[in-house]
Amino acid sequence: MIKTKIRSILSGIRSRIFYSTCLVITTAVLSFMLFSGSIIKSSLDKGMDNMDRRLGSDIMLVPKGSREEAENLLLEGQRGTFYFDGSVDDKVKDIEGISEVTSQCFLKSLSADCCSSEVELVFYDPDTDFVVGPWIETNYKSDLKKDNVIVGSDIVTENGTIKLFGKDYEVVSQMAKTGTALDSSVYFSDDSMASVIADAEEKNSFLTEEQKDGDILSSVFINLKDGYNEDDVIRECHAKAGDIFDVVYPKQLNESLSDNLLRITDIVGAVVLIGGILLFGILVLINSVIIESRKQEVALLRVLGNSKSKMALMLISETGAVSLFGSLVGCLLGALIVIPFGRYIGMSLSMPYLGPSFIGASVQVIVIMAIVFLVALVSSILFVFHVTGIEPYLALKKEAE
Amino acid sequence: MLASENVIYRYKKNKRTILDSVNYSLEEGCFSAVMGESGSGKSTFLAVMAGILKPLEGTVRYNDVDLYELKDKELSRIHRNSICYVPQSNIMLKNITVLENIVNPYLETASDDDLKEKAVSLLEKLGIGNLAGNYPYELSGGELKRASIVRAVLMDPKVIIADEPTTGLDKETGNRILSFLSEYAKAGNSVLVATHDEHIEGYADNILRLERS
Repeated sequence: MIKTKIRSILSGIRSRIFYSTCLVITTAVLSFMLFSGSIIKSSLDKGMDNMDRRLGSDIMLVPKGSREEAENLLLEGQRGTFYFDGSVDDKVKDIEGISEVTSQCFLKSLSADCCSSEVELVFYDPDTDFVVGPWIETNYKSDLKKDNVIVGSDIVTENGTIKLFGKDYEVVSQMAKTGTALDSSVYFSDDSMASVIADAEEKNSFLTEEQKDGDILSSVFINLKDGYNEDDVIRECHAKAGDIFDVVYPKQLNESLSDNLLRITDIVGAVVLIGGILLFGILVLINSVIIESRKQEVALLRVLGNSKSKMALMLISETGAVSLFGSLVGCLLGALIVIPFGRYIGMSLSMPYLGPSFIGASVQVIVIMAIVFLVALVSSILFVFHVTGIEPYLALKKEAE
Repeated sequence: MLASENVIYRYKKNKRTILDSVNYSLEEGCFSAVMGESGSGKSTFLAVMAGILKPLEGTVRYNDVDLYELKDKELSRIHRNSICYVPQSNIMLKNITVLENIVNPYLETASDDDLKEKAVSLLEKLGIGNLAGNYPYELSGGELKRASIVRAVLMDPKVIIADEPTTGLDKETGNRILSFLSEYAKAGNSVLVATHDEHIEGYADNILRLERS
């Protein structure tokens, strides 16, 4: 019975190829817009949320002249080779108003045996860290020892180890995906820094003099106690550490990006709304164009023993099946275009972008197909009532005339 | 078998009464014809008798059941199994084959293969068996008319009501159709046709003549 119904629906679709094609195109276009828009918006949302949590410090001290590079680090996770004195964190940690301080050092342009592309090494202090920890996806019990590493989500390991400069390191945990260059980073305890640099030198990797020196930091992350003013604390930091740093305000950067996101959301919302209205209008137009021929067809089928309700179901099933197909095509096109180029979209908007998971994207496809299906049904419902309500003879007579 | 009683039908637009107290009975095994000048109400009468145009007054009974008192589903069942109407125009969906046009309306009532086998057999009987796989636009008017009749008789209805089945056709094709309908009636069914074709007198058991009022 179901097979017969499907055959009957397919036959009906085939017999009205113009109508079916128009419906497929319009629903595909709307679904493409809806899917692409929602994927971009949700990916930017996730990227923003990710960034907020990833670098949730109140202020960040970076070497003088490297503010732009540091902001790129916040936005896209691209690390730079900027350094200042390795004692900056110690100098500022006791300043009144500071609740916690942690530091990181980045080594860039170091080739590694493990990976085909460049791997970035991040040295951090596990005892004071509040930046890396929240992103460790799997727990590890022991301290991060000298021969232990934590790897970004894109790093592929072999039997739980990774080889760097000829030495094997045990991978004790992996970071959650961030959608940035952080995903291809390897995290060490700062205790390992000297030995890693020594190994790199031994393997003739290029290192700058600063890097060879080893007593360096790339950034210091600071959280303030409640009620303390950022400017007062920064002034005190300058007094203690000297005029060797610029300040980045992650949360301000976040707020400015949030404004951008709101604008993008408005644009996406407007495009989707206009697209939806256009689809509705086009469907009504298509239905009104083919209404006469369908009146006669439905009248004939009723004369041949098909009830009004069966005819209504037939028309709705055809519209539903075609719109679902069109919607699936649109979503797949959207997925093919938007998902692979998500990182580029984020970069072109200068915003953090974290693409959807397979399940997340699948849920969006289902929701969009349901919306498009409903729009198609609502647009054809009056037409269905009109066509099935007319007296069969009057419709057939019109054809004869 | 199928009878009208005091049927009155009036056009809504010009208020002209086209059928005025028509009493008529179509008996089993009978091939009947309705003749009359254009505008005399032949087609309207056939539609009222077929249960697809509700009269202003009067009743149309099939085996003592008033067609216009039935619910839509019950009337549909009668149209599928008992009373089949063949309209004057040959309505076919152009992107599916003639055979599919004939079989598709009944797909949920019988097996596809059985319906197709029977349809091809009927098409052969009417001389167009070789056109089953063709598309409607590849057929002439006479061929389309024969295909429409096959579609109507596919479920073996007890009554066939055909509006102008030979109009616009050559004499040979017209006679072939009338001969087929005559045989169908003789097999214990009933046939009612509206026509201008004088050849009907050689086939019909009785003729009802309508006059324009």
